Amino acid sequence: MPAILEVKGLKTQFLVRGGVVRAVDGIDLRVNRGETVGIVGESGSGKSMTALSILRLVPEPGKIVEGSITFDGRDVLAMNRDELRKFRGNDVSMIFQDPMSSLNPVLKVGYQIEEAMKSHDRFSAEESKSRVPMLLRRVRIPDADRRAKEFPHQFSGGMRQRAMIAMGLSNEPDVLIADEPTTALDVTVQAQILQQLRDLNRELGTAIVLITHNMAVVANICTWVVVMYAGRVVEQGPTAEIFRSPQHPYTWSLLRSIPRIDEKLGGKLLTISGLPPDLTNLPPGCKFHPRCRFTVDRCFTEEPDLFNVGPQHESRCWVQMDNVPDPDSDLREAPVVPLEEDAGALVIAGEESAAAV
Amino acid sequence: MSRGTAIYGARRLLLVLGTAFIVSSVTFLAIHALPGTAFTCEKNPAGCAHQNAVYGLNDPLFIQYRTFLWNLIHGDLGYSYINQGTQVVPLLLREAGASLLLGLFAIVVTIVVGLIIGVTAAVRQNTWLDYALSSFVVFGYSIPSFVLATFIIILTGIALPNWAGSIGWGAPEQIPIPAIALGLPYAAVVARLVRASMLDVIRQDYVRTAWAKGLSSRVIIVRHALRNALIPVITIGGPLVTAIITGSVVIETIFGIPGLGKEFVVSITTRDYGIVVGLYTFYAVLVGLANLGVDLLYPVLDPRIRYA
Repeated sequence: MPAILEVKGLKTQFLVRGGVVRAVDGIDLRVNRGETVGIVGESGSGKSMTALSILRLVPEPGKIVEGSITFDGRDVLAMNRDELRKFRGNDVSMIFQDPMSSLNPVLKVGYQIEEAMKSHDRFSAEESKSRVPMLLRRVRIPDADRRAKEFPHQFSGGMRQRAMIAMGLSNEPDVLIADEPTTALDVTVQAQILQQLRDLNRELGTAIVLITHNMAVVANICTWVVVMYAGRVVEQGPTAEIFRSPQHPYTWSLLRSIPRIDEKLGGKLLTISGLPPDLTNLPPGCKFHPRCRFTVDRCFTEEPDLFNVGPQHESRCWVQMDNVPDPDSDLREAPVVPLEEDAGALVIAGEESAAAV
Repeated sequence: MSRGTAIYGARRLLLVLGTAFIVSSVTFLAIHALPGTAFTCEKNPAGCAHQNAVYGLNDPLFIQYRTFLWNLIHGDLGYSYINQGTQVVPLLLREAGASLLLGLFAIVVTIVVGLIIGVTAAVRQNTWLDYALSSFVVFGYSIPSFVLATFIIILTGIALPNWAGSIGWGAPEQIPIPAIALGLPYAAVVARLVRASMLDVIRQDYVRTAWAKGLSSRVIIVRHALRNALIPVITIGGPLVTAIITGSVVIETIFGIPGLGKEFVVSITTRDYGIVVGLYTFYAVLVGLANLGVDLLYPVLDPRIRYA
């Protein structure tokens, strides 16, 4: 399948007083037409910056310093202001994490959707206006004609995110980037929004890049998973493959830090010790080695490439985890290299780093 | 305008009337409490006594106040003591007309210049243009108005030696220059506020959404950012409009404009009671109306604000 969006060797950095923050440090990403790609990682892993880089919306003082972004054969990084304006929201659109603050409070919701279409050439002014209720109905907003004339503060959180999705899809883009679209919403609304994204992907063939720290969300709608750590891809592959046989210790740990309903009671949940690395001062060798339970000598000095570990499956690790215990076994027996678990190491079982990732 | 807004506006108007009544009474009592009168009795004791009798200034204060109130509700503030034979209300209205005309043009200068400088400086934050505009703003509100006015007169006088517009009052072309001299310092204040507010707004998520939608920068700055940025800025509109309309003694003196400004000083020093009371009552009404105007503007700019 031809890639509609391809990112190669992307590096996005922030020059700050303390040095250079390597937010995105050499990312390769490939999105095919109609595909659903999940980008997973904890806070600070560079997933949002990757998304913002694709639309060239990196906030100051951030800069894309290296790499290429190609959309449908066109070089995004070489676009001038006007080309970029036509690209945003038309070829690739984006919806953001917090629907409460992502809509303009002083403009009517319908108008904000209409103006997204008016700023591009796909629809005439009349079509732009008449499509608004249809778009709102498509994301299951009841009473769409009346709702279009309301302001964002008259919408609930879930409805605002639906309105954002309607806006994002209004120009029938080839790719929709959804940056943690459900994080700010409660669980039942989350499920509805995800269901809608999946339906829209099927109905319209819009490729979706879903950025999340929630593995369950990925399992729900993505066909391809990219796991990020410290600004780089550490593992990628088809969703089923990643979930069945994670090859990078980070992914492996993440999946084992999720409580399972079919697990026997009284077991201990796996946690990933330590903190995400300081992006101004990355450790030598593999960036995950300070928190890894499977380290070998090489991990401390030399960073691995993304190696093929399956037909479409790549992992950035020196250790081949072919014989990792199957997910149903007792995870306490799992570590290959024992970690000094009782040494008082900082264990974070918080939402970001382990359990919810 | 919604029904709630109309009721709110009507209630506020009543409040303005009440305030005007209180201000006029307090001013009346305060100015009578000041020692001295409009008429000096040393040189011409007979004439002075006569004048005092004519204007009822020999009556007990209570009687004078009663007469004042009775006249006030009929819209009459009596005669000016200094401009003999001139009634206070028509005199003030005539002067207020000049001040209003000048003030309106000065407000246009303030808004246009303030917005352009503020928005440009914010959009080009931390560039040489921002620094230049911000320096200009500091210059604008720290320079005394008589220096600024004189400077502008000299400049236009050199640039357009045969133009009547650089000084004087009475012809239409004589409006812009004093309006600029009066409006520029306030424009500097507005520019500072707009810049700060814009800097806050352009970092908001919804502005990022607007960029991600592919809108043009002009639309984003004007429709999405500026509209939100103005909500906190219009708060100063009330005092600003009042200050500009009541004019500046300095500007009116320099340009020879027969406005209200000079009365604020002259009427008190000459104990021209009627003028003082009328002037400060007018000022109170103006403050009330300007603030009411601002409060009615909030729901227009921000749909989240409603008067129930």
